Amino acid sequence: MDVAAPRPKENQGEPLPRVDARLKVTGQAHYPADLPTANLAHGALATSSIARGKVAKLRLDDARAVPGLLDIVTYGDMDKVDKPKFGNSSATSIGPLHDRTIFHDGQIIALAVAETFEAAEEAARLIRAEYEEDKPTASFDSPGTKTVAAAGKSPMFKEDVKAGDFDAAFAAAAVKIDQRYSTPTQHHNPIELFSTTAYWQGDQLVVHEPSQNVTGWKVELARQLKMDPANVRIVSPFIGGAFGSKGPMTPRTAIVAVAAKRLGRPVRCVTSRMQAFGTQTYRAETRHRIRIGARKDGRITAFAHEGWEVTSRPDLYVVGGTSATGRMYGYGSVLTHVSLVQADRNTPGYMRSPPETPYVYALENAMDEMAVALGMDPVEFRRINEPKTEPIGKKPFSSRSLIQCYDQAAAAFGWAKRDPKVGAMRDGDWLVGMGCATAIYPTAVAPCAARVRLTVDGDVRLQCGSHEIGTGIRTVAGQMASERLGVAIDKISVEMGDSSLPPAPVSGGSISTASVCSAVLKACDAIRTKLYAAATAEGGPLAGSHNEEFDLADGKIVAKSGASAKVEDVLKAMQVGAIEEYAEFAPKGATPEALKKLYAGTPEFHGGDQDEDSVKYAFGAEFVEVRINRYTREIRVPRIVGAFAAGRIMNTRTARSQLMGGMIWGIGQALHEATEVDRRYARYVNRDLQDYLVPVNADIKDLQVILVPEVDHAVNPAGVKGLGELGNVGTAAAVASAVYHATGKRIRDLPIRVEQLLV
Amino acid sequence: MRPFIYEQPSDISAAVALASNFTTRDDQPTRANAQFIAGGTNLADYMKLGVAEPNRLLDLNRLEEQKLRQIRVTGDGIRFGALVRMGEAADHREVKKRYPVIAGSLRLAASGQIRNVASLAGNVLQRTRCEYFRETSWACNKRVPGSGCAAMDGFNRQHAVLGGSNACIATYHGDFAQALIALDAVIHAQGSDGARQIPFAKLHRQPGDTPHIETDLAADEIITAIEVPALPWARRSLYLKIRDRESYAFALASAAVALDLDGETVRDARIALGGLATVPWRAGAAEEVLQGKKLDEASAGAAADAAFAEAQPHQHNAFKIELGKRTLVRALLETRDMKV
Amino acid sequence: MSQPSALSTNGLSRRKFMAGTVSAAATAPLLASTARAEAPIATQPKLRQPVVTSLRINKQAYELSLDTRTSLLDALRDHIGLTGTKKGCDHGQCGACTVLVDGKRVLSCLSFAVMNDGKEVTTIEGLASADGRLHPMQQAFIDHDAFQCGYCTPGQIMSAIGCVNEGHAESENDIREYMSGNICRCAAYPNIVAAVLQARGETRGA
Repeated sequence: MDVAAPRPKENQGEPLPRVDARLKVTGQAHYPADLPTANLAHGALATSSIARGKVAKLRLDDARAVPGLLDIVTYGDMDKVDKPKFGNSSATSIGPLHDRTIFHDGQIIALAVAETFEAAEEAARLIRAEYEEDKPTASFDSPGTKTVAAAGKSPMFKEDVKAGDFDAAFAAAAVKIDQRYSTPTQHHNPIELFSTTAYWQGDQLVVHEPSQNVTGWKVELARQLKMDPANVRIVSPFIGGAFGSKGPMTPRTAIVAVAAKRLGRPVRCVTSRMQAFGTQTYRAETRHRIRIGARKDGRITAFAHEGWEVTSRPDLYVVGGTSATGRMYGYGSVLTHVSLVQADRNTPGYMRSPPETPYVYALENAMDEMAVALGMDPVEFRRINEPKTEPIGKKPFSSRSLIQCYDQAAAAFGWAKRDPKVGAMRDGDWLVGMGCATAIYPTAVAPCAARVRLTVDGDVRLQCGSHEIGTGIRTVAGQMASERLGVAIDKISVEMGDSSLPPAPVSGGSISTASVCSAVLKACDAIRTKLYAAATAEGGPLAGSHNEEFDLADGKIVAKSGASAKVEDVLKAMQVGAIEEYAEFAPKGATPEALKKLYAGTPEFHGGDQDEDSVKYAFGAEFVEVRINRYTREIRVPRIVGAFAAGRIMNTRTARSQLMGGMIWGIGQALHEATEVDRRYARYVNRDLQDYLVPVNADIKDLQVILVPEVDHAVNPAGVKGLGELGNVGTAAAVASAVYHATGKRIRDLPIRVEQLLV
Repeated sequence: MRPFIYEQPSDISAAVALASNFTTRDDQPTRANAQFIAGGTNLADYMKLGVAEPNRLLDLNRLEEQKLRQIRVTGDGIRFGALVRMGEAADHREVKKRYPVIAGSLRLAASGQIRNVASLAGNVLQRTRCEYFRETSWACNKRVPGSGCAAMDGFNRQHAVLGGSNACIATYHGDFAQALIALDAVIHAQGSDGARQIPFAKLHRQPGDTPHIETDLAADEIITAIEVPALPWARRSLYLKIRDRESYAFALASAAVALDLDGETVRDARIALGGLATVPWRAGAAEEVLQGKKLDEASAGAAADAAFAEAQPHQHNAFKIELGKRTLVRALLETRDMKV
Repeated sequence: MSQPSALSTNGLSRRKFMAGTVSAAATAPLLASTARAEAPIATQPKLRQPVVTSLRINKQAYELSLDTRTSLLDALRDHIGLTGTKKGCDHGQCGACTVLVDGKRVLSCLSFAVMNDGKEVTTIEGLASADGRLHPMQQAFIDHDAFQCGYCTPGQIMSAIGCVNEGHAESENDIREYMSGNICRCAAYPNIVAAVLQARGETRGA
């Protein structure tokens, strides 16, 4: 069988090809900037070249003289519109054209609109700002930062988790480490450029924009424009990579909507790759201090994780991964603290496994150091500290297959052949190192609505306002309907990515499959109930087989007794052409407000560390081999194996691909990705794909994903744990562990580059 | 981008005449109103960025002289027409056989798509990728003479440790040029003053106080060919490129090496360094160190020390001195061990 | 197929497009040669004057009146409505805009459309046969799940075809190296390599 389509094991679904695959390989998948729009005008942004101060004067004459220029939207033009409100649907509270204050490098100062892209771009470049410039604060260690505790200050962060008496336990520990780690600024850089196309039909506004949250954006954009959300529609049928960057809306959307209103014609603004660095969100740089104390036998008795994160002046965005790191192992005592460091930067945001990527990196690199300090095998060290309950609230894990993941990945990797001695493994001029680390991601679920219609012809139409960002959500939602309704996948059409569809939560936090599939399941089961009731009613084809188990397959209702009836005949008997069900799924423990909040674009998340009965996480183990040239010290990762357990796998093909992509992201985090900040000016330096490096094809050689079977009925009705973010948690620490094994050098600051290994 | 007039001269003299019409003797080719375009992979990028602002582009792709598109191998060496594409040269059998260092430098540069379009002459004339040069809101003496250099005290990890000045430390990022300078290539150019030959080592100018003057060419001068003299022992040559990722990235350090060996003793050596200097960089001092020596890790190290004796580090690029040395050592040893 | 309603940048190009589609094959070569004969030194071209450019795209002739600054990429997307070719960086750094020009893979973002006058361009929309049968490379990308979000995919597929035809798909390492100009942020790289391996034999013949 093809590697890309792993044979399903227990509780794993078929590796069906993606339902939209043909569209994607023929160029017919329309991403928002591809959607045909008549009479289109083109917009181009002008952005600030300082990070702090005021725009004293804007010179527009040269721009206005460009033939084909239609309009310039700038200060004063957004006065009738409300400023953005920082939150899940809005990346920042900065309304860049609401006042002349500059909060960060690359802040929007104007939008030029013209007949052609070339004219708009030419005009935008000719807009000249005169600034009253203040000395900006770039980041950690820059003069002028303000540090605040995350807990109690930001609604994004609940608490600094703790357990027991860390200080006493750490003081008494026989073996201990106390180390600092850091991760840099990183930008998502999806290959699709950010864009907004807006047009008005009377008082109705339509926006084509890649979005992971069409419902949330509809509500937030309506709020900014002081409209009824019913008059705003966000259309995003395909999204060209998101990774969190298209979760919150940015201020550009309302600006383009205003431009379209002023002109009375559609306006499209495609942000340049460079401008995206300042106008979108990014992963905040983080610093960590980790202390671990253990007994000589390897049992951890004390764990402390302190984190510092950069954020903007106006918005307290929190990365905050201590909830997961504090629950990872069976520590005797836990102490955590998260601090926010405010600087003159744009507001950071969610980026693939937002809290876990940096925080678990620090924890797992420290775990590897601790294993070295103890003289233990790093896998064994984790095994010894496997908990029965999580240490903070002493709750059980709904399921936890970490050790199975380690065992299967270690076997596939050949960990037993590793010579544990540092620097002992060589291949010609290449130093070989092998390392491993744990992946963890909270399993959350949110309310979601879906509409499913089964027609007398056996066609199914599935509608849900979720988002196809590449995860395969259209495919797995279709698969769920296929399974429950006994209809072949090619008879099912799946509509997503439109705020006029039944609302779904933001496609982030690895909640989509669980939330969407639970809603689809509910809608399909309502159809089944109706069908079955009709079939078994008096005079129905299955009359008399009440209270009996049955199933739907191949267009038939099949009773346990073997009796069957065609769905088509049942519908005819019901005298209907179709059964359509609109289902609203709310997870266990949802508040009475939960569904209302779904429609308001502010869905509740449940699961993870939030539930009373248990904590819910997906786990994995990753092993990497690095090769480092003995002269020039460049680092390559020729081999990586990851084993992951994430409850029910809907489709082994799409699941494997997501995990694979995550692991490669992890390699990028480990070795390549960093947005460099010029510390004098608080400006980004490497703002494009020439200088912001991500892995290319040649960087990846032997990669293996193992899907470890796991059954967990507690997480949600679909039994699904998310895995879109799991794959890149831990990878960077595994690489650091392998680099140490090869060289004896412990690198604690990411990315790991040649210069750190030359000295 | 500024608007521009597009013209397609039909032959070299027409191209030169057009350029002469719209430029002056004092114009730098990179700053002139009329500029030549061939593959365009560098120029179109810089026009989009507002770094290059010609108002007239003279497209050389329709020039009728076929020799511009030919690779000719003779007993005297190899002659590349200026419009030969990087990919063609990289895949050329005789180039691969006789000058592995040339084929390697081309193969490890850019991507398949860019190599299909980028001309050899355009490639050697590519301008620095310094981030502060590329973004027009930064101070840059190369882009705007006298405006200062934001890179000097900025984030300068990729910047040059060799050949810099107080005005500019922008790296020359090309790869092919390192092979050419090592092999004593000659540039054939034609301008309104007629045809001339320029030793490759004289083509690029170190920044000094005038980093905006990048080459020896006049604004109306076209490179017509690149000639590499015969060097039978260049079959023992290679190009080693060290970068942050495995492919499609500029060199942190690179070395073009050709060796004439008598057993393990060096009769002659050609060495150039890339990713480290403001211009294509011939490491003559390193070559001298190796003359008559047995090539081993120690002598290679001594050559590397000589190559970097004058190196000037900045805040973020000091590692490049050590990396450059090790790159050269590795390249020398790998060249020595080539099966020829 | 692309939708003519997408054509909206300016009336001129729309009109040209309509003309091109209606009487494609017959008029195009004639117009192309006329345009070329007029272009050189004899006339005095003016700044901001649109330039007539003839392109054969997916075996169909188009005559466009273009701003000289318009990239081949924007000509395809904004003037012809072939939006399968994607803009990922607009600076030659990602490969999403890869098309075949005269059979060779190139980056359409770094090529001014006027420079391609008279050339044959193949885009992702031109690969499948008229009966809807996919090009072997397209089918291989489906079989091996060689994409996730799908945005870089048209560029990957065009590049893969170019790569095979250049003779640079002889080994897995070859494919990895020669496909490295196409960034896939979803990181489907191993699946892309598998797809190219599967399709290379049939692609050579295609």
